[in-house]
Amino acid sequence: MDLFARNDGEHYVCGLIDGPCQMEGLGPLVQDAAHGAIAQFFGVVRNHNEGLSAEAVDYDVHPELALKTLDELCQELCTNYPVKLVMIHSRGLVRVGEASVVIAASSAHRKDALDAVSEAIDQLKIRVPIWKKEIGPDDELRWLDGHSLRKD
Amino acid sequence: MTTITVHCLGAFRTLGNSFVVDVDDVSVASIRAAVSSSFVAMERPDLNTVLTRSVFAEGDELLKDHATISGIEVSLLPPVAGG
Repeated sequence: MDLFARNDGEHYVCGLIDGPCQMEGLGPLVQDAAHGAIAQFFGVVRNHNEGLSAEAVDYDVHPELALKTLDELCQELCTNYPVKLVMIHSRGLVRVGEASVVIAASSAHRKDALDAVSEAIDQLKIRVPIWKKEIGPDDELRWLDGHSLRKD
Repeated sequence: MTTITVHCLGAFRTLGNSFVVDVDDVSVASIRAAVSSSFVAMERPDLNTVLTRSVFAEGDELLKDHATISGIEVSLLPPVAGG
């Protein structure tokens, strides 16, 4: 299992991991004696999409650009919210029930942590160069449409 | 004439990991036009719909169509769908 991570040494850690994300042990990564709230989000592969059955999702990633974008996103979130943050996304095969993205934030009071986690997943989905290839029960493959990065 | 290697990501991987196009100049607009023609030549004109919503990147930089590239390789990024 490989993890490609970036951090600012104080406020955040972000990265990509081969295969599913661990859903345990995130809280301690953002724990802080001055923080009274920890919010977590797990994005989990489900067994259906748009009326079709699914068994797994194979995540394709542009690693350099994805890490750069995750890093920029974490910097923005830590500027906008007084939080400590961790954000990890999978690369490769993730099966139904396994997590493809995990996010945790801690803050002195709950609203900042909750808002930061919500904005983190919203922004990740429209900015980070990651693509989903859904795998159906008979191994049929479907590339899922998403959000264009084109600005011109 | 310059030969550019186009690395495929997402739905473009149905074409393989990469393909090459020849361009007269190394503007992104020229590369986009050459890629569009290649899709027709590869009997995948359907991918031109995705191409119009896609961006090119060089290394870790997203490129607008008026930009020029400094190397001979680009990545072709369809609409993203992480999470």
